[in-house]
Amino acid sequence: MTTPTPQLTTMPAPTSRAARFRQQHGWVVGVAVLLAAMILVRYLQVERFGGFELRALTAGTLMLALLAMAQGVVVLSGGINLAVGALMVLANCFSAWLMEDASVATCLVIALATVVGTAVVSGLMGWLVTVSGMPDIVVTLALHFVFVGVALLILGGPGGGTNPDFSRMVVGGYSDPLPSLLWLVAVFLLVWVPFRRSRAGIATYAVGSDRQAAFLAGIVVARARVQAYVLSGVFAGLAGIATTASLGSGSPQESIALGALLGSVAAVVLGGVALAGGRGGLLGPVLAAFVLTLIPAILLSAGANPNVAVLLEGLIIIGVVMLGGLLELRRRKQ
Amino acid sequence: MSTDALLAARGVAKAYGSVVALRSADLTVGAGEAHALLGANGAGKSTFVKALTGVIRRDRGTITMAGEPVELRSPAEGYERGIAAVFQDPALIPDLTVRHNLRLTGTDPGAVRQELAGLGIEGIEIDERVADIPLPFLRMLDLARALVHRPRLLVLDEITAALPADLAEKVFTAMARQTRTGGSVLFISHRLEEVIEHCDMCTVFRDGHDVARFAPQEGREARIVQSMLGDRVEAEVAAERSRRNVADGVTPRLEVEGLSAGDLLRDVSLTVRPGEVVGLVALEGQGQDALFETLAGDRRPRAGSIRVEGRPLTARHPAAAIRRGIALVPADRTLALLPKRSIRENIALPSRARPARWGPISRRREDRSVNRAVERLSIDTRAAAQARRLSGGNQQKLTIGRWLAEGFRTLLLFDPTRGIDIGTKRQIYDLVREIADSGAAVLMYTSELREIELVCDRALVLHRGEIVAELPADAGEEALLNAAHGLHRDEVTTG
Repeated sequence: MTTPTPQLTTMPAPTSRAARFRQQHGWVVGVAVLLAAMILVRYLQVERFGGFELRALTAGTLMLALLAMAQGVVVLSGGINLAVGALMVLANCFSAWLMEDASVATCLVIALATVVGTAVVSGLMGWLVTVSGMPDIVVTLALHFVFVGVALLILGGPGGGTNPDFSRMVVGGYSDPLPSLLWLVAVFLLVWVPFRRSRAGIATYAVGSDRQAAFLAGIVVARARVQAYVLSGVFAGLAGIATTASLGSGSPQESIALGALLGSVAAVVLGGVALAGGRGGLLGPVLAAFVLTLIPAILLSAGANPNVAVLLEGLIIIGVVMLGGLLELRRRKQ
Repeated sequence: MSTDALLAARGVAKAYGSVVALRSADLTVGAGEAHALLGANGAGKSTFVKALTGVIRRDRGTITMAGEPVELRSPAEGYERGIAAVFQDPALIPDLTVRHNLRLTGTDPGAVRQELAGLGIEGIEIDERVADIPLPFLRMLDLARALVHRPRLLVLDEITAALPADLAEKVFTAMARQTRTGGSVLFISHRLEEVIEHCDMCTVFRDGHDVARFAPQEGREARIVQSMLGDRVEAEVAAERSRRNVADGVTPRLEVEGLSAGDLLRDVSLTVRPGEVVGLVALEGQGQDALFETLAGDRRPRAGSIRVEGRPLTARHPAAAIRRGIALVPADRTLALLPKRSIRENIALPSRARPARWGPISRRREDRSVNRAVERLSIDTRAAAQARRLSGGNQQKLTIGRWLAEGFRTLLLFDPTRGIDIGTKRQIYDLVREIADSGAAVLMYTSELREIELVCDRALVLHRGEIVAELPADAGEEALLNAAHGLHRDEVTTG
């Protein structure tokens, strides 16, 4: 009845190791090269490039990098978390409220409690998304306002404080770039890398890539999605602590939450995570966060009009993402 | 009989809202038995398999394995109970590597490699991304993964639909091994010859009930088809159709001259006249994809010309081809439909999208033409809310029939009956003939040679990117097949 196919079907040659590496890590390498180039430009721009400059870069990026991870893990699972900025502001206000006049040890305990708290809150948010069947954009956007509102209830206005020694511990002193960088690397290596290699981490990628296939393969889809939100809450809480340490106070302002949120999405996109989910990693977004922090600094030092600088920033993001897309297209055509 | 039954399902039922997919079905699979589950599209096969394997929860009914009740909440739980399934949709995640996919289900990669070697499949690289592996091999990987769990019951849902003959043979070998060692197989396929050759028993579903159970070797195709269709069965008459002699003077609707496209397609010339169904015969991968894509404006030719109703067509985009009245129905129905929109909207879509028409759409006019089309197609509209809820056959009727609503004059059908049951196939044949009789020109690629005689007026044979033969529709399957392999007609008789 059907046409018999006489020829033997053979498996095509596997893609080479080099091609596989290009495909899986090419984007991250690209962003790393871009970052290196920008650091070089900054080095040539600034007369005495040293600890002060580097500290400004690492401490200034710590918050955005953590937030990019918070956004990235949810995007990888096929969702989006529009409440990451608000979660960060909430963690910032909550910790600043409690840390005022506290000892370093107490500050550490408060920081831990804050992170656990945001993880739980974010997990509940994820549970609401999966159970209610409402789109994640709607749920997380609504909760964005709720979280900012709670932050306002806690602090009422800019205020609170922290222990200066705790601050130094987290973001380093006047010209010490190391602590913030170490914290970032530690979080990446101790939280993300083990998670990514675990079955739970693979499940996160799986539900982001193809939810139906993941279900058929035996993954509890709802659990995997909630896990991503919990991890997102951990990263967002850490971003809030970083903010408290670097500002020395709490700022319950919606504009901060909004700016942080948009920054996190930009870093995720620039970092090569597919918004459709399932493809990419968190190293790209972290590197992209550094790039995003450097762009305005470089433009302003180069004498660009501050108003034009914002515009250029946007164009650079679009340009980079489009370039990446074009390269991907060319690869597929071959 | 029932004492050595491995799987016994009694009165299994499932409804989706008001749509009853499975009314009350019994199924018994003996130990060491290869059992086929048959039925027309929409008879409830897929729903039964899903209920059995824990993809969905059944509303009523009992399922027992070797006497013990089975209540699966997810396909993964099936492994522990001795049920492993290969589903119609791949259960492999495209963006993950093979290794990660196996890790996800807790399957040992070494064991999978061994199973693959046992199946005679080599060359699947474990660190390759699943998206980079061709579909037939993913099916084999799915199968190997199921086999690793040493299931007592192996469920194969349409696994051979996407497989070339040599890989399908390997599936049958695995089935034979499974039954030889005392295990059982539940096999679902639209290819009756496979069922007759490789299954010991079969159960036929119709309208959500089990209606027959017999050994397929005894009844052969006729009995199977009869059970599947019930009183709808009718003798297959292809000849009654009067072959119209299309006058030579008529301007061809579609004229292709010296067309080259893609890597393969070379110097193809053909004409299709109004009222004519031209069949295209080719083995897999002979350039038919490129030909259809080029005609539909989805791919630019390297050389040659396409003329529609005498005027040259230089389509840079499918919209340009559609404006000239050319419509493509792809083999993958999901590509052509808006799965989450209603049947009405899907029918109205091409006419709405016609770039020539501006301004608001007349609801009344649209309703009229849509109603006509729905009536004509005899589509079950119980699931009208969303096109994706239709069965595969009804979806395909929708993709073809909607062009009726707006009177498209040139129709390109790419394997329109792939994966569709016999009953719906006939309706599609009628539909295609009707479209042609109303004056449209149809070019149809088919992978089922029988359809040439049933539907077409003449056949063109494509081999390695070139048209190598033109044969009358009643040339016979053997002649067509020989031509498709690039052999001459004379060689048929000697061989």
